Order: sequence, then structure tokens, then C-alpha cells
Amino acid sequence: MPRKLLTMLVVITAAGLIACNPTVKVEAPDKPIEINMNVNIRHEILVKVEKEVEEMFEDEDLF
Amino acid sequence: MKTLTKSLKFAARAALLTLVLTGTVFAMDLGQAKSEGLVGEKPDGYLGLVDSGASSDVRALVQDVNAKRRANYQRIAKQQGAPLAEVEKVGGMTAIDKTQRGHYVMDASGRWVKK
Repeated sequence: MPRKLLTMLVVITAAGLIACNPTVKVEAPDKPIEINMNVNIRHEILVKVEKEVEEMFEDEDLF
Repeated sequence: MKTLTKSLKFAARAALLTLVLTGTVFAMDLGQAKSEGLVGEKPDGYLGLVDSGASSDVRALVQDVNAKRRANYQRIAKQQGAPLAEVEKVGGMTAIDKTQRGHYVMDASGRWVKK
């Protein structure tokens, strides 16, 4: 009887350990990683657009 | 009677000539229309009628200003290689930002609110 109990305990502990063991998979992306260099250029354009719009409102009676 | 007709004709001609010489004459200027709460700035970069029952003077003013703004937005878009819609959006933000307190601006949900 205690032997059976012991076996059961071992089985339960083992099962518990397996359940707790986290499986973290690290996979390399299948596509190459892209770094968007356009962000900087777009920002520069926006700054210029803002400046021009500002001037347009100041120069003419449009505002 | 004849003199009256003559002078009327003369007055009409003079008025017409003034109109032609000075370009389009608006009975209302933009600042006045804004402070009277008739027009306001929209997020799309253009002026809008706050009061839908506005007079033809006000409507003509809004149309004229918006046409000129559009021409400028198009020029800037072309020069900077930016989409027109983006330039218009910048216009809207700038205009709303510059709007003085007590004048009307349109919020994101399309309602006119006093700044």
C-alpha cells in the first residue's frame, strides 16, 4: 500500500513538473528584418510643410 | 427725369468700373466674418460656414478664401512631394491652433465649438 502511494506520488510530481516546464520557442523570422529609413525623410518633409503652411497663413489674407 | 436716368446710369457704370478695377469686392472681410461667428476653421484646412443660413456675401468670401488656400496647399504638396491630404491636414491644425479665443473651430466630430 505505501509503495502504491509512493508510485502515485512520483507520477503526480512528474506530471506536475512537465506541466510547469515552460516551452519557449525562439524562431527566426522567415522574412528579413526591415528597418524603415523613410521615417526620417518623412519627418523632414512634414517640418517643411508645416513651415510653408505657416508662411502661407501669414503672407496672405487667407486666415 | 432724363437727368435722373442719366445720373443713375453714370452711377451704375462707376460702380461697375470700381468692381472691375479692384477685383472681387467683398462686403465682409474674413476677420469680421470670424468675429461675428459666421465662419470657422475646419480640421480639413478650409473655412466653413458656422451658420448655414449665411448671406451670399459670406458664402462668396468662404469660397474665395478656400480656393486660394487649395491653390497654396497644392503648390506646397507639389514642392515638398507630400500628399495633398497631408498638407491640408497640417493646414487645419495650424489654422485651428492660430484661431483666437471666442472664434469658432470645428471639432473632430464635426461640431462647431467656440475656442
